[in-house]
Amino acid sequence: MLQGSNLNKLKKLPEPVKKFGGLVTITFVVILSFAILNIFWGGGEELIEKMKKEEERIAEAKKLSELISSLPSGVLVSFEGTDDHRLSEEQYEVVCNATKIVSQRSVMGANLINFKAHKIYTINGNKIDETFVKWDKEKNKCFAGFVVSGNNVGVNETITVSGEALSFFNTGIDTRVYFIKNF
Amino acid sequence: MELLKKYPKLFQWLFLLIVFFALCFSIDVPETYKFIRGQAEFIKDPNQSTYTLFGKEVRYYAFDVLWRLPPLLGWLPIWVNDSLFFLLNEWMPMEFWNEDTQEFKTRPLVLQITRNITAFMTFLIELIREILLGGVKTVVAFSSWDWIDKNPWAELPGLPWTIVTAGAVILGYKLSGKGLAIFAGLVMIYISVFGQWKPSMQTLSFILVAAPLSFIFGLTLGVMAYKSKRVEKALYPILLVMQTMPQYAVLVPAMVLFGIGDHAAVIITMVVAIPPMILLTLLGLRAVSSEVIEAGKMSGCNNWQLMTKVLIPTARRDILIGVNQVIMVCFSMAVIAAFIGAKGLGWNLLLALNQLNIGLALEAGLCISMIAILLDKMSLAWANKQEDYFGNLTFFQRYKNTLFFAGAVLIGAILAYAGSFLFKDSFNYFSEIPHNKGISFADFWNKGVDWIWDTFFQTLKIFNTWLITEVLQPMRALYLRMPAVATVVLVVGAGYIIGGIRSALVTAGLVLFIALSPWWDRALVTTYMATFGVIASCTIGLTVGTLCQQNQYTTKFMLAVCDIFQTFPSFVYLIPVMMLFGITDTSVLIAVIVYATIPATRYTIEGLRSVPTALHDAASMSGVTKLQRLINIEFPIAFPHMMLGVNQTIVFALFMVIIGAFIGTEDLGQYILKALSDKAGGGKGLILGICVAFIALIFDNLIRTWVQKRKKHLGID
Repeated sequence: MLQGSNLNKLKKLPEPVKKFGGLVTITFVVILSFAILNIFWGGGEELIEKMKKEEERIAEAKKLSELISSLPSGVLVSFEGTDDHRLSEEQYEVVCNATKIVSQRSVMGANLINFKAHKIYTINGNKIDETFVKWDKEKNKCFAGFVVSGNNVGVNETITVSGEALSFFNTGIDTRVYFIKNF
Repeated sequence: MELLKKYPKLFQWLFLLIVFFALCFSIDVPETYKFIRGQAEFIKDPNQSTYTLFGKEVRYYAFDVLWRLPPLLGWLPIWVNDSLFFLLNEWMPMEFWNEDTQEFKTRPLVLQITRNITAFMTFLIELIREILLGGVKTVVAFSSWDWIDKNPWAELPGLPWTIVTAGAVILGYKLSGKGLAIFAGLVMIYISVFGQWKPSMQTLSFILVAAPLSFIFGLTLGVMAYKSKRVEKALYPILLVMQTMPQYAVLVPAMVLFGIGDHAAVIITMVVAIPPMILLTLLGLRAVSSEVIEAGKMSGCNNWQLMTKVLIPTARRDILIGVNQVIMVCFSMAVIAAFIGAKGLGWNLLLALNQLNIGLALEAGLCISMIAILLDKMSLAWANKQEDYFGNLTFFQRYKNTLFFAGAVLIGAILAYAGSFLFKDSFNYFSEIPHNKGISFADFWNKGVDWIWDTFFQTLKIFNTWLITEVLQPMRALYLRMPAVATVVLVVGAGYIIGGIRSALVTAGLVLFIALSPWWDRALVTTYMATFGVIASCTIGLTVGTLCQQNQYTTKFMLAVCDIFQTFPSFVYLIPVMMLFGITDTSVLIAVIVYATIPATRYTIEGLRSVPTALHDAASMSGVTKLQRLINIEFPIAFPHMMLGVNQTIVFALFMVIIGAFIGTEDLGQYILKALSDKAGGGKGLILGICVAFIALIFDNLIRTWVQKRKKHLGID
């Protein structure tokens, strides 16, 4: 009964008022729908943090790539006595941080000294599980290494080979570890 | 409350704008907003969220939804692509007989159908091309390469340019008299002497296939829509979208289905040209009065006879205007289709523009425009020509044009034969003037461009910089600063105020489709460029149209100018602006303004002309001045008609903005262009095209609804 009388009251309202009411309702509905969608789909602070970190990483990578492109292509070393380009202390750290790839050549070289690693590497089909390049702040040196395991051929042994990364190879696009001194 | 009752619309608009701006100012730009570009680029990033719909994984950056909606429709382009791939490569494999290998081969049905259509189209194009330019492929199609080697006489010789020119002159004379005949002659001589004969005939061959096929399909579908409400209802949304969809966007899915080349260009041209033919057929048939239909029925016509003997002949003019539209669309597509390998003038124009050889581009562009004007005039003359059913003519009177043409063929053939002796050691100029032997002003134009750059470089640079930094960039930033919720509220609210709940729902659907696609930001950039063009075009069009309408000679002159400009394929507009402004956003916007000013001017003139003379007289009798009459009487009455011009201006501006991607803009057009060179671009191209069409349809819906209401209010419906 009460509902009916309210409806009648609404019906009796003048057309412009009804139209204005309709506009207000439609606006409210649109905003409310967006607000509800925001609960399900909206990104929170965590995402913004992640994105900021990503942004910083991109900026850092850009800086590093600029440095790499400024260095001569070919072998870059951190010691004296060769014809290759010798890195300054500062460049050495930056190149170390920029390097992500440990080349096959450096792996083979390091394996020559580590008999066990060489054996597993041969029987597992030349498979490397993991590689790493790290800058050691205390020693002020760059360390690189790799992990070989024989799990895929039934040998239950995993060996981590690591050593000082003394030279890098600059392709013009990226740098790769060229020589690991593990002796 | 009283004020609300007195000015209801004013209060509604005020409320809407207050809410819009309040939302704009209260919602901040997210700090990492620039990442949103990744959504449009479909890149992979570990920070993205994912969702799976219909088995498709879509990646997106989860933002504040009030700022930008997540691309929930991101699966659609992928789904379209996969569906196309499935249809072409996997659906319904069947055994088909292969003529070449003489054995059955398994092929999916759709692939076989598309290949058959491709082969048929290629055959038709080659046939007409070889009639016009000569060749052996058609004869080989019915014989073999060995046979043609043994019988070299069977090679089609190609029509000499003299015969085609004579044919055009005679046709022009038959349709409209001396004026058109002279113009036809001049155009044909121009394209021949300037060495554009071969590309022109290649373009013409492609149009001579696309136009008749479009006419047949358009007429058939138009008749079907007239006969059946269901067909009409089914066709209506497709027609609406096709009318507002940029032609560029249709290229991409067609390329996936039919590959590249002239055949694909013909098919795509048909897709674009059929909708206006359907609409004009429907319009013409609807306009046939019930008395005529009754008379037909009373004479004992069956359905077929009623259609072919009564309805179609009565609607002849509208149907022929449809033919005119088909030809014009074919011409505008001649350039755009060059993107998917259509040979001819369009290809040459595109090549010249790519090399920034403005001189060569101008020559090809001029040629296309002149042929387009000629065919436009001829088809219009055909539409307006009255058939003389009762003339008691002699044999000569009845067939004089045929006889003249037969004479021309004979003389042309003799001339071409004589030319083979006369120009024994060089080219037979009586048959065809090769491209490199024709007159060329390309160097002159190129030097002119260099001179313009040398002389006005500083001024143009200052203007360019000012426009970009002071006008365009702030405007672009403003558009991109609009939160999605504010934009949707504005559009839906405007729909409600103008057309009620129905209009609000339609606009909401259209705007949400764009907002939920991965290209909302690019759509905003497209809208900003189109808005700038529309504002400038409407200002110019309104002023020029109003001034010209004051005098009948200037009115006629301006309408003729509009007619001519309207026949130019849209790509041609890029040439002069590139000459003056180089490769910048300014060039695109100036091209948009020039192109979109045409409908604004035309509709202003026609709107003001539609004001009844009785009202003019009544106003003069009341002692109003010319200016008072214009402002208080003519403008209010002509305004609905002028708004239809604004509607057209928006569509034209959007088309040109999309074409402007060729110069290098950052809007939806650029993404369509990218999709053209993407192996999996079919879905993207189609959805991007639909987004552009929907932008146009939002404005179309609002303006048309307003116009209808206004006309009703003024009693001129």
